[in-house]
Amino acid sequence: MSDAPADRADDDTAAENVERETLFERYTTRALVAGVTVVAVVALLLAGLAFPDSLAGTLADVLTSRNTLAATLRLSVPIAFAALGGIFAEKSGVINIGLEGFLIISAFGAIYVADITGGVWIGFAGGVVASTLLAALFAVVTIGFRADQIIAGLAVWLIALGLAPFASQVIYGSPNTPTVATSPSITVPVLADLPFFGALFSASPSVYMLFAAVAGSWYVFERTAFGRWIRASGENPKALDTAGVSVTRVRYAAVLISGVLAGMGGAALSLDLGQFTGNGPTMVNGKGFIAIVAYLFGNYNPVGAFLSTMLFAGLDAVQTVLQLQGIGIPRQLIRITPFVVVIVVLALVGRTRLPEAAGDHYETED
Amino acid sequence: MSAADRARDALSRLARASATERILISTAALVLSVLIGAVLVLVAGRMTTCTAGEAVYYFGTGFCYDPVVVFDRLFLGALGDPLSGSWSPNGQFAVTLRETTLLIFTGLSVALAFRAGIFNIGTQGQMVVGALATALGVLWASSLVSGVLGTVVLIPFGLLVGAVFGGLYGAVPGLLKAYADANEVITTIMLNFIATGVALYLVSGVFKDPESAANQTVPLPEFAQFPALFFGARQDFSIVALAFGLLAVGALYYVLEHTAFGYDVRTSGVQPEAAEYGGVDAKRTVVASLTLSGALGGIAGAMYVMMVLGTFQTGIPAYGFDGITVSILAGNNPLGVGVAALLFGVLKSGTTVVQFATDVPPQLVGVLRGLIILFVAMPEFFRLLARGLPGAGSRPEAVATDGGVPGERGGEADE
Repeated sequence: MSDAPADRADDDTAAENVERETLFERYTTRALVAGVTVVAVVALLLAGLAFPDSLAGTLADVLTSRNTLAATLRLSVPIAFAALGGIFAEKSGVINIGLEGFLIISAFGAIYVADITGGVWIGFAGGVVASTLLAALFAVVTIGFRADQIIAGLAVWLIALGLAPFASQVIYGSPNTPTVATSPSITVPVLADLPFFGALFSASPSVYMLFAAVAGSWYVFERTAFGRWIRASGENPKALDTAGVSVTRVRYAAVLISGVLAGMGGAALSLDLGQFTGNGPTMVNGKGFIAIVAYLFGNYNPVGAFLSTMLFAGLDAVQTVLQLQGIGIPRQLIRITPFVVVIVVLALVGRTRLPEAAGDHYETED
Repeated sequence: MSAADRARDALSRLARASATERILISTAALVLSVLIGAVLVLVAGRMTTCTAGEAVYYFGTGFCYDPVVVFDRLFLGALGDPLSGSWSPNGQFAVTLRETTLLIFTGLSVALAFRAGIFNIGTQGQMVVGALATALGVLWASSLVSGVLGTVVLIPFGLLVGAVFGGLYGAVPGLLKAYADANEVITTIMLNFIATGVALYLVSGVFKDPESAANQTVPLPEFAQFPALFFGARQDFSIVALAFGLLAVGALYYVLEHTAFGYDVRTSGVQPEAAEYGGVDAKRTVVASLTLSGALGGIAGAMYVMMVLGTFQTGIPAYGFDGITVSILAGNNPLGVGVAALLFGVLKSGTTVVQFATDVPPQLVGVLRGLIILFVAMPEFFRLLARGLPGAGSRPEAVATDGGVPGERGGEADE
């Protein structure tokens, strides 16, 4: 992982009303985290090269394995899609804690529709629709009825957490659905045979869709008028209103987009496995919350959010491999590493600069 | 007028203006959630299959589940069927009171943090930590004392252990928020996952009961558990624990309303800036209120171990998340928590009755929990409804859904 997210992430907010000093501080903590990651990985690889039989050797093998990259990409998909969705909502001024709920409802919706229609892609669309409907409810409640965004987000999460297993129980008699067919992975000839990076060219279609979504989101924010409206709606809604653009409509659009994107992530999550599991925290298991940290760490930049997602997902991929290899550390403890890392990262990054008007309702004056 | 006076003024005005309205909104939210739940039961009843004889008919259409039966079982069943004439304190009613007792503590935990303007989503994790610590601490201490003396000594000891460890676990997000500016919503949710993971590791390894197939600690001796006075032992309810819960309701109310610390907490929740001008140490208040909130969650865990299970087992039910609902339903008022806990205790206990009596999945209550929170969060919706009704006056001032949304997030509390 390079320190590119640190550079990029700070570019777009640098100009705005951030004091120079705090900008500098934030730049250094991000650069520090990224730098330490790079140094640790390089050191580990060198140590592994020198002592192939030690623990470092095992770790280096795992890190350079093509399977690890493939697993990282697969695990990134739901988190990164949700993070992109979160960026849209929060940049427009609506804090979206309900991403976890969007992922849960779309993961179930996708399997259900795929099961009754027999089409994987129809199922995918079904998952996206389910999540978008929930997003519409969230939008009406927070924008239309001015509910507290955090509490409404919690409610959306808890509703999905109850509704998906409830529906599964009603329809299939168990919180877990039966399995459906999965879509085959797409392989680019020649390139897929590369050593390590080959994993980039032999992956599930959802991985390619994620690449497109990251690039698309970046383009929307950096190059289009709509992207500027979203930013203005979160930073200075009054100015946007004065310019003749409806803040309410921009926010509705942004929250709906966040539902579509998170829905793609949730649908990809369950369809890649061909099953929805709804026991306990369901198969989504906190991915929506990790997504929030990913975009905070990526400083609301789609590319930054994607790279920090890769960091979290990479950890998850490595811990899965380590569990299988059965090295000294117990399985249950390795499993919580991503959560611990999230807290450490959050503590290091500290206060991320929320969009100025995030969390506030905007009253049109007319 | 000093900033502190102004803050106090805003606070008392808010409390007066909204007390009645909040009760109305909470009641309306509950009724509306039950209605939507009924529709959901009907829809679910269309999506599943059953024989014609089992189906019920409404509006000329057959449904597999009958919402009237579901909610009859949910509410009357939970109260032990008071209308049937064969009511006894040893039935489902005791289970309802047991759930109420636990929900009082998790509800108070969430409410206290909310009042300080902090979203403690981590009560669940704090409860797990408190429960595990109590199970291990009391198990160790039970070899030192026994008999009636054992009960008298061990129960307060167990509650103390739960409170201390839950409190310490609550202090972690507090310190992270105060000194590293880390958002407590995220950290507390992450700490929930970590608590569950570490507890699973410990209980499936070093502290595992060798004689049990489940991941649990060695069961506590009978004298180290809450005595089942007046009520049957099978329902795992103790009136002593409930009394303790009611005491906690009163104590927290007193602390919040009549002590200097409570004043700091409330002003930080309503107007953090004004509180700081008025001399409140914001960082200390954050850490202190999250620690105390964690301690209450830890006590819930201790109660669960010493009253319900008699051991620590992985997979503690989601009392912490239900605590969020209880607190929001109660407008984060400790006295309200007592009432909301009973209401939600009925829902939780009724779930098992519904499961016995019908085929409706128990996850229904999870959906209701989310719906209730959603509706309580949108008072504007009910104001619009009320305005539509004849003879209802409109209320111009906006009221926050809880006692203290931090000003930076949504400052409508003080407008």
